[in-house]
Amino acid sequence: MGRLLVVDSRDLTEYAGGRSLPPLIEELCRQGHDVTLFLVENGVIAARRGAAAGLSFDALSGTGVHILADEVACRARGIRELAPGVCLSDLDHLADKIADGFDNILWY
Amino acid sequence: MHSDEPGPSGRRRVRRVAIVLSTGSYQREAPTTVLRLAEKLLERGIEVNVWAFEEAVTLTNQDQMEHNEPPSLRPVLGESHAPVGRFIDQLLRAGLHGAKMDWVTCILCAQERGVEKHQMGGAIVGTLGDLWKFVGGADQVIAIPAYR
Repeated sequence: MGRLLVVDSRDLTEYAGGRSLPPLIEELCRQGHDVTLFLVENGVIAARRGAAAGLSFDALSGTGVHILADEVACRARGIRELAPGVCLSDLDHLADKIADGFDNILWY
Repeated sequence: MHSDEPGPSGRRRVRRVAIVLSTGSYQREAPTTVLRLAEKLLERGIEVNVWAFEEAVTLTNQDQMEHNEPPSLRPVLGESHAPVGRFIDQLLRAGLHGAKMDWVTCILCAQERGVEKHQMGGAIVGTLGDLWKFVGGADQVIAIPAYR
């Protein structure tokens, strides 16, 4: 099965397509893919603890998805506490993962 | 720097990344994020090739100037605000001593926006053929979507 990276740079509530992203990732994971979801820019808004858009992250993480939030983007938006299932990360970590290779990268 | 040793996943390490970017100056954060990521990839010895089209061709407009911040904000923000192109210039120059970054600007998009003759040194005005070669030669392709 594939090793996939999904980068979410948009607020999940900003565009209608954002609602489809967590179910898509869940389905990819269910199919056996190793999926990393990296939240950057406005994508981290959903990672704020208590944010409705991020309520699915805990369950998503439970299915094996690695959910990471860019530390710079979080700081810029005053996000200090992350939703359950989300880990604080940075672009060094993302670059390390890309250096290791993915079968596909989807940048949303 | 780059090693031929497999990475943690056991795969052959990525040597070359192609990035396709269409977001221009002052639209969204994407150019800044791309450059932050490009810098990290270059630090790891990975070659980065950027294909800039649509509004992204304005990022390498050498005529963009720093603008002064309002006096009341200078204690917080500093004296002036540098354009993103300054960051691109630094990364292109960094390639002289490490992994290199190529930056190709789409000729049609640049002509449409009147910036073809205003590209900074190091940025190459190119065609879709360059995009084809970037993608074909890349271990990893990252396409940044256009959205408003």
